[in-house]
Amino acid sequence: MTVSAVLDSIRSFEYWPEIGEGTVDTLTMTVVSLAFTVLIGLPVGVALFLTGPSQRSERLVTARLQGWAYKAVSFLVNVLRSLPFLILLILLIPTTRWLVGTSLGVAGSIPPLVVAAAPFFARLVENLLREVDRGVFEACRAMGATTRQTVLWALLPETLPGLLAAITVTAIALIGYSAMSGVIGGGGLGDLAVRYGYQRFNVPVMITTVAILIVLVQLVQALGDRLVARLSHQR
Amino acid sequence: MIETRAVGKTYYTPTGSFNALHSVDINVGAGEIFGIIGRSGAGKSTLLRTLNLLERPTSGRILIEGSDVTDLDGEPLRRLRQGIGIIFQHFNLLKSKTVHENVRLPLRVSGRLDRAAQDRRVAELLELVGLSRNAQKYPSQLSGGERQRVGIARALANGPRILLCDEATSALDPETTQSILELLLEINQRLKLTIVLITHGMDVIRAVADRVVILDHGKVVESGSVVEVFLNPRDAVTRALLAQSGIESGTVTTNGPDGGPVIRLTYHGATSEQPLLSTLSRDAGVDFTILEASVGHLKTVSYGRFTLRLQPRDSERLPKLLQLSDALGVRHEILR
Repeated sequence: MTVSAVLDSIRSFEYWPEIGEGTVDTLTMTVVSLAFTVLIGLPVGVALFLTGPSQRSERLVTARLQGWAYKAVSFLVNVLRSLPFLILLILLIPTTRWLVGTSLGVAGSIPPLVVAAAPFFARLVENLLREVDRGVFEACRAMGATTRQTVLWALLPETLPGLLAAITVTAIALIGYSAMSGVIGGGGLGDLAVRYGYQRFNVPVMITTVAILIVLVQLVQALGDRLVARLSHQR
Repeated sequence: MIETRAVGKTYYTPTGSFNALHSVDINVGAGEIFGIIGRSGAGKSTLLRTLNLLERPTSGRILIEGSDVTDLDGEPLRRLRQGIGIIFQHFNLLKSKTVHENVRLPLRVSGRLDRAAQDRRVAELLELVGLSRNAQKYPSQLSGGERQRVGIARALANGPRILLCDEATSALDPETTQSILELLLEINQRLKLTIVLITHGMDVIRAVADRVVILDHGKVVESGSVVEVFLNPRDAVTRALLAQSGIESGTVTTNGPDGGPVIRLTYHGATSEQPLLSTLSRDAGVDFTILEASVGHLKTVSYGRFTLRLQPRDSERLPKLLQLSDALGVRHEILR
């Protein structure tokens, strides 16, 4: 087969419109759910850190309360993280319907995606904050900063490269999860792969969707790496 | 200015408790440089950190400028801390921020100035510590000494009356240590700043401190003016610390083949201006061997200390020698 023959067969591939639509759907799901994941996961991660073992108050009663709060949030995060995504997806169908009016398509996939990814992201944030030099925290306390000032002006800026890396990892996990939501009619590339590849044995569509997913993940990772490198550059 | 009354600190661990501080009383006067020295684990860092309540004492009281701050919390505690600067052994700067932003942070925290005034204040502080050219650099681009200068500028941002130094020069080489100590002396004088510093090195104390306490196992074992403590140490711990700094040599061999009397003469201040040894030798009519000698400065006070062995034939002139040294203002000890 010559090169022009290959190009011709690619050009005449009849599924391009559907694949294009699927790619856009996957990207939409990933971007929107990533935004909500960060919006919810970041504060939860900060809360986990602030109530965590390294930050206990010197006052006994406050320390107890912190301990309970930490255990409660931590337990919830672990429960959500221990459910396989597919099961979470099915389990959440009534909630999703109530939230966005449908459990199908792009809109229907976003709530379960966020519920799956936000706890994961929150843990990443907690671990990043724990790794900030204790001295920085101490310097902030000594200059009379409030907890809010310390978190916003010192801790988060210090972890920014790590946060971007965590967002990259989460984005890639979301691309993977979003493909899985195809199983219950979630739309996107996963949906295509299931419908054509699994149900109709259409190998070309299957391979194309896989190739696009691989390219997407590589692009996201490269973009994340570049941002992290730029931010770490001057430090 | 700063007073601790019977301050104690006990840490409770699952396996028991540990007393880091035992009823410590210190009293730091306004404008002085006060040293706290001890071996590692003596509790000096804990003591320093109780002064701005980074550690809350388990017993006793802390008084800052006459008011009891021991139980302050919330906003009043934050206000207090804004008036007490602190610098650290490892600088504790923010890696993600420029020098300018690091120094501006306490100004943002206290929120007393608007943005333009903050920037002016930062420029002024960087000028003071000699880092004006490095305002836009990141801490990783600076040397250790420069980083500590940033730490000092940051600590001074809100115009504190007290500066705490937590082993501020321990991570620096001797030359850089010297320049940081000079800077501390300069700001102590220029800004009338009260400085409390802790260190395990006697050299730091002798270079800058006015008064000193020696801490061991959480207790004050000795305290007084630096000259007093250095030239007349009473506690074994003090002597051991002094031995490192070369002032106290520990034991001198006083047994010689021709064992005449061995005496130690110590003096400081104006007495050092006089030709002491030759006067004593001539006027008492004695000859002696110098077994050990140390002369130098303690901050601005010069001092001298000699261990002398008299010739055996001069033994009977010893009383005369001691009398003369008394008249000259020289303290003596008979070692043999």
